Amino acid sequence: MLDFIVTFINGLSLGGIYAMIALGYTMVYGIAKMLNFAHGDIIMVSGYILIVFMGITGNIPLSILISIFFAGMFGVLMEKSAYMPLRGASPLAVLITAIGVSYLLQSVAQMIFGSAPKYVVIANLGSVNLFGLSIQLYKIITLAVTIVIMVVLSLFIKFSKTGRAMIAVSEDRGASGLMGIDSNKIISITFLIGAMLASVACTLYFLLTPNINPTFGAKPGIKAFTAAVIGGIGSIPGAMIGGIFLGIIECFSNSIPVLSPYTDAIEFLILIILLLVRPTGILGKKRKEKV
Amino acid sequence: MKKFFTKINLVLLMVVALFTTSVLSGCKNKGNEFVIGMSGPLTGGAAVYGLAVQKSAEMAVEEINALGGLNGYKFKLVATDDMHDPSKVSTNYASLMKQGMNFSLGCVTTKPCLEFKNLSKDDNLFFITPSATNDSVPEFANGYQMCFADTKQGTFSAQYINSNYEAGSLTIGVLYRAGDDYSQGIYQNFIDAIDTTKFGNVVVASFNEENPSSLESQVQSLKNCTLVFLPIYYTPASTFMTQAKDIISPNCVYFGCDGLDGIDGIQGFDINTIPQEISYLSHFNSNATTGLAKEFIDKYTAKNGKDTLNQFGASAYDCVYAIYNALKKAVEAGKNVTPKTSVSELCEILKEEFKTLSFNGVTGNNISWDSSGFVNKEAVKYIVKEKNS
Repeated sequence: MLDFIVTFINGLSLGGIYAMIALGYTMVYGIAKMLNFAHGDIIMVSGYILIVFMGITGNIPLSILISIFFAGMFGVLMEKSAYMPLRGASPLAVLITAIGVSYLLQSVAQMIFGSAPKYVVIANLGSVNLFGLSIQLYKIITLAVTIVIMVVLSLFIKFSKTGRAMIAVSEDRGASGLMGIDSNKIISITFLIGAMLASVACTLYFLLTPNINPTFGAKPGIKAFTAAVIGGIGSIPGAMIGGIFLGIIECFSNSIPVLSPYTDAIEFLILIILLLVRPTGILGKKRKEKV
Repeated sequence: MKKFFTKINLVLLMVVALFTTSVLSGCKNKGNEFVIGMSGPLTGGAAVYGLAVQKSAEMAVEEINALGGLNGYKFKLVATDDMHDPSKVSTNYASLMKQGMNFSLGCVTTKPCLEFKNLSKDDNLFFITPSATNDSVPEFANGYQMCFADTKQGTFSAQYINSNYEAGSLTIGVLYRAGDDYSQGIYQNFIDAIDTTKFGNVVVASFNEENPSSLESQVQSLKNCTLVFLPIYYTPASTFMTQAKDIISPNCVYFGCDGLDGIDGIQGFDINTIPQEISYLSHFNSNATTGLAKEFIDKYTAKNGKDTLNQFGASAYDCVYAIYNALKKAVEAGKNVTPKTSVSELCEILKEEFKTLSFNGVTGNNISWDSSGFVNKEAVKYIVKEKNS
């Protein structure tokens, strides 16, 4: 029973990280109607920025803030340089460009930092005793940060002017333009938020796992994308639910020796079954696509 | 037109020059010494291994020559540089054959050695590699290994544990990477060879990514173990050790294979932050204070310094002595062993002698070989870091 609870908490905290990355996927998809496959690589870029600034300043909290800022700027830069020129191009062209950007980032990172993994320790937080269970503090922090960000983001989208403009652009880009909303600006803001969330996820990742290499972002990127699809791509609470669902499945599958070699297969199998039953994901809305 | 002929003449001259040098370089062995050929990274990123093999083998050759050689003939080592690039091996092989190679140390690193084994098969050239660990290196009858083959490390690790720990004193766990030939192969051999009547059932955990982010569930499964066998590479191992440091007992022993070699060199990773003992299976202890290993370390460092002292060199030193001892046995048995004996005949003689050869070397006592060319010898546990007291 104790093991069950510990595994459940592990799943929640891993799922929280997935959810944070999935938010970026789902927001960009909802608003810009594109799959940004380079989103996972922003995690990696943010990680290297963090390492570089940790080396320069020696101050970890400051470096984390700097890395979040630069990752956000990087997301905007990526959108402006690679995706904005393709506004109105076929979705396939945008998709291929996103994959290209992903490889470009990985290769550049490999040229600058080399392919050998780097080991980073940002904090050694120890563990706390909760109801007779020893739980590592970073898991609680991860969960808390995830919940806070989730709430703030929901409030931001529901009540702020920019947030409502985001909803408007996602509903109908043409009509929102007629209402005086600058859709290019809104899309840039979406990328900014997505990249900053990825950077927060990266910091939480470092609390969990200490190794970074140029392909570091690919796996969590794919997992988070799966989470976004499970939750219903385009839906913010959906990304959250999908992320946590996937994290819990992963941890339970890993804790059962017979299943653990097949964890990835199990996760994607669940995705397939879910899509057969609910093609739009758990919270996805059905919408008519104009052909 | 005149210019054209000048050009033609120049090209001809160069061709002739090249031809002459290659013919001349092919005349070096006049059949008055045994030539041991080798190919290894003498320059480039892996040079530390190639140079260790070259220097150690040369040391062995000098010692044997000082004893008078064999049958009146001296030995000579010819080393070629492959820069750990398999595509350079065929040129090196041809050059070594021209220089009269009688037998060989093969290649130092695994990928070039897989090329070497194919090239040497047709000539039936005997080779014994000090350090190419892939299971298929001794695939053909002419190939032997002085190092433990990759997946055989599972068997030797299990044997080490079986004979060095008391019954019931351990709860053994394994963490391996599913779907990876190296890791899964070692795991399978380990499970087959570990004495479960002595230690009870082994707790098994696995993962399937090259660099997994979370091994927490696996740590949870292994948390009551007192020895965790880690047939994985050092990067995921460092992730595992970091995530396990507060959960698994500080008295637990982490025991790996050659994949853990280098764990103390990961940039930014301080092994002293891990409270448990970190060790791996090896055949050479570079901190040995007794025995042949100690003698080797003293001789080597006096001559070459400490920079290139490693298990590659120790193994190469034993390779040369293995060939020498086998040939000596053949001579005593009255067989015809001279540098002029054909490569293939020498190979058959050596293969015959290797069936019964057993000797004490730097990398272990009672070193012997099975019929497939895999080595049998006692493994040692090399401790990278003692447990924190």
